[in-house]
Amino acid sequence: MKKIRSHVEEWFKDIPDSEAKETMKEEIVQNLEEKVQDLIRKGKAEEDAINKAIVDFGDIADIKEELGGGLQGRSQRNKYGIHLGFSIWGSVLIIGLMIFINFYTSPDTIWFVYPTFGVLWWPLTMFYRWLANKQ
Amino acid sequence: MIRSDAIRGHLDAIILRLIYEEDRYGYEISKEIAARTNERFQIKEATLYAVFQRLERKELIESYLGDVSHGGQRRYYKITKLGRAYLRETIDEWNEIKDIMNIFMEGLT
Repeated sequence: MKKIRSHVEEWFKDIPDSEAKETMKEEIVQNLEEKVQDLIRKGKAEEDAINKAIVDFGDIADIKEELGGGLQGRSQRNKYGIHLGFSIWGSVLIIGLMIFINFYTSPDTIWFVYPTFGVLWWPLTMFYRWLANKQ
Repeated sequence: MIRSDAIRGHLDAIILRLIYEEDRYGYEISKEIAARTNERFQIKEATLYAVFQRLERKELIESYLGDVSHGGQRRYYKITKLGRAYLRETIDEWNEIKDIMNIFMEGLT
């Protein structure tokens, strides 16, 4: 019966910890053990019964979606929003600094546009990642 | 056996109906579905627990721990008032769907 618990632990490994997850794990272990008992009573060897119960369980992805998938998707979108915001602030500060140095040290040569073009790739990339994630 | 994605949208109703009759626990429900359909439809446990989770979040069912068996405690599910109302609506909707689909599916073999 230890085998069942270790399988269930394995299935739930990459679902974020929560009270709902623990309760569901307990429930699944209990139900699977009962199923194994039933199969043994019908004449299966314990090893076979456990294997059958585990194989019949199905695709854990359904549970993942209900337990953490929705939440994860939301935080993912939020994360790209934060990346975009950070890249905009970061590039504005860098460009501002370049303009300041440019006009402070050599007001006759306008060179700050060169680093500006270089830096603009950063928010541009983040903007499209954010856009792709939004759709 | 029936394709599981063909019946997927109706799983909530099937499970609600079984819990409506009496409080039941997970393994009991999967056994009951197999028995009533003569094993023509067997629900995967993974799907079953996902449905429980969803129905509980929508407050259509509630769970509680029941008697001890084989060392573990069974988790029973109980339909809520909201769940009953939802089931009733689903049944009306189902009859409507059945009528509509029959218009197109009947007569041909």
